[in-house]
Amino acid sequence: MDHEVLAGPGVRAHGAAAPRRGSRGTGQKRARRGRPRVSGVPWILPALVVSAGVVYYCIGYTGWISTLRWDGISPDRTWVGLGNYARLFQDPVFWKSMEHTGVFFVVTTTAQILLGMAFAALLHSRLRLAVLYKVAVFVPVVLAPATMAPVFRQIYAPDGQFNKILDAVGLHDLTMAWLAKPATALAVVMSIQVWQSVGVAFILYFAAMGQIETEVLEAARMDGAGNLRVLRSIIWPGVRGTTLALITLSAIASLKTFDVPYLVTSGGPSYGTEFLGTFIYRMSIPQSEVGYGAAISVMLLILALGTAIVFNAGGRDKEIRRV
Amino acid sequence: MFEARTRAARALLQIVVTVLTIPFVFPLVAMVQGSFAGTGWNNYRAVFEIRALPLFFRNSALIASSVILVVYACTMLAAFGFSKLHIRARETYFWLLLAALTLPEVVLLTPLFATATTLGFYDTYLAVVLPLAALQIPFTVLLARNFMDGIPNELIEAARIDGATMARTFRSIVLPLTRPIAAAIIVLTLITAWNDYLLPLVFLQNPDLQPVTLVPQFFVSQFNNDQTKVLAAAVVTAIPEVIAYLGLQRLFERGLSAGALK
Repeated sequence: MDHEVLAGPGVRAHGAAAPRRGSRGTGQKRARRGRPRVSGVPWILPALVVSAGVVYYCIGYTGWISTLRWDGISPDRTWVGLGNYARLFQDPVFWKSMEHTGVFFVVTTTAQILLGMAFAALLHSRLRLAVLYKVAVFVPVVLAPATMAPVFRQIYAPDGQFNKILDAVGLHDLTMAWLAKPATALAVVMSIQVWQSVGVAFILYFAAMGQIETEVLEAARMDGAGNLRVLRSIIWPGVRGTTLALITLSAIASLKTFDVPYLVTSGGPSYGTEFLGTFIYRMSIPQSEVGYGAAISVMLLILALGTAIVFNAGGRDKEIRRV
Repeated sequence: MFEARTRAARALLQIVVTVLTIPFVFPLVAMVQGSFAGTGWNNYRAVFEIRALPLFFRNSALIASSVILVVYACTMLAAFGFSKLHIRARETYFWLLLAALTLPEVVLLTPLFATATTLGFYDTYLAVVLPLAALQIPFTVLLARNFMDGIPNELIEAARIDGATMARTFRSIVLPLTRPIAAAIIVLTLITAWNDYLLPLVFLQNPDLQPVTLVPQFFVSQFNNDQTKVLAAAVVTAIPEVIAYLGLQRLFERGLSAGALK
């Protein structure tokens, strides 16, 4: 749970990022004085071959396939240039999946931040049985979506537990077949994602809150600040870096979403839970429109890379301004 | 973080956290409860009577351990190279690797499928292990490199002055010092590989090779969609993961949340 282990022994000994930079600096100085340098290229080669090799080979191949009309198996391939891309921009299902991705990102990220903060702050408050709460929130992170999918299908079924609970608390009018309508099916998919990801947000916030100095908190309380005021004026700004990291991570995860919508709703009903991932899968495998699937893949890659760059640049910018 | 001076305030906080936790426990309760519906323990008996059951676990273990081996070896070597050795245009290589972090599995399906059928490794573990390792390595290299940057260069130079080769220095000095991050990397890779669904779904058609994530599907066809037995199967596949997490809580929490620490 503590960050020090991840930061490395040098940091543990000296306390900040500065000594790292220092030690690298002296290393370079010595190297310049003429000590024979050992090349690192053979050391990084296996990783480059296994990772970058496979990844860039696949990206290149996908780029080429995206210009074809092809079923993936037959020798019969027609070059269609940018035809698949033109088709993509006119495909209402593509725009639907983009919209779902956007909604999914906003809703699940907000829920992760709010619930993660709430659990972290509450479990930093000397409650009883804190370990039990932590375990309960983190177990969903460990379980495979594939294992839990049948359970959620059961819970949200017309005769499932969710409707039974609504019934029991007198909300019988709200009971329905949750997976049968596009809007409620999307809500179900998002609820499962929140269930699975709050644990990580919680652990990160818990660690970040441990870094906030207790003197600051005590001083604020002496000045008469209440719990909510402390949360807003000290804790929230104090864990800002974690929040930004979570937003970036969640944006990329939203673009990558596949397992939950595929397993629980198969992208349906009537494309109501279609995401880019499930769209690519449906085109490439069951419908054998490999060229079209590849064009969506290329779009997804551009979006993911763009998101990573924008969020990283934005995050860094703000960080510097704060200091 | 919250301060509760009175007993009533403490009780209130305790109630709030309990209420917030209920939705997280509820699906697990529903899973266990559902698995006992109808014929009770007989659901479990039916699951354990499927002879292929241990095979699914063995296959998951095989896939996960192969991915861990490849990822660990590649990561440690590369992180050492990036952090401590001389590489021209080092950051270019590093960013080349990091860009792969954003790649979703589903994008790999078509090119891998075409390549695997041509080269004849479709329906073998290689078709699952290779892409899993490829997608995991960029991230683990990032983690391990950050960690190794914290190891003083003087330590490595001292070993070199004493006459150790670079390989020996790596083995006797660097590897023992990087154990904490190695543990986080192994747990993270284990969970990613064990829980992966899409790659085995597409690339492993032979039931003798399939991992536990494909068990629910297998049981849906096997039991004619008898939900209670499917849920019993879900419980059986979830239990090892829960036990592993309970036994190694800190490692799991550290490994799985390492994702956001850049």
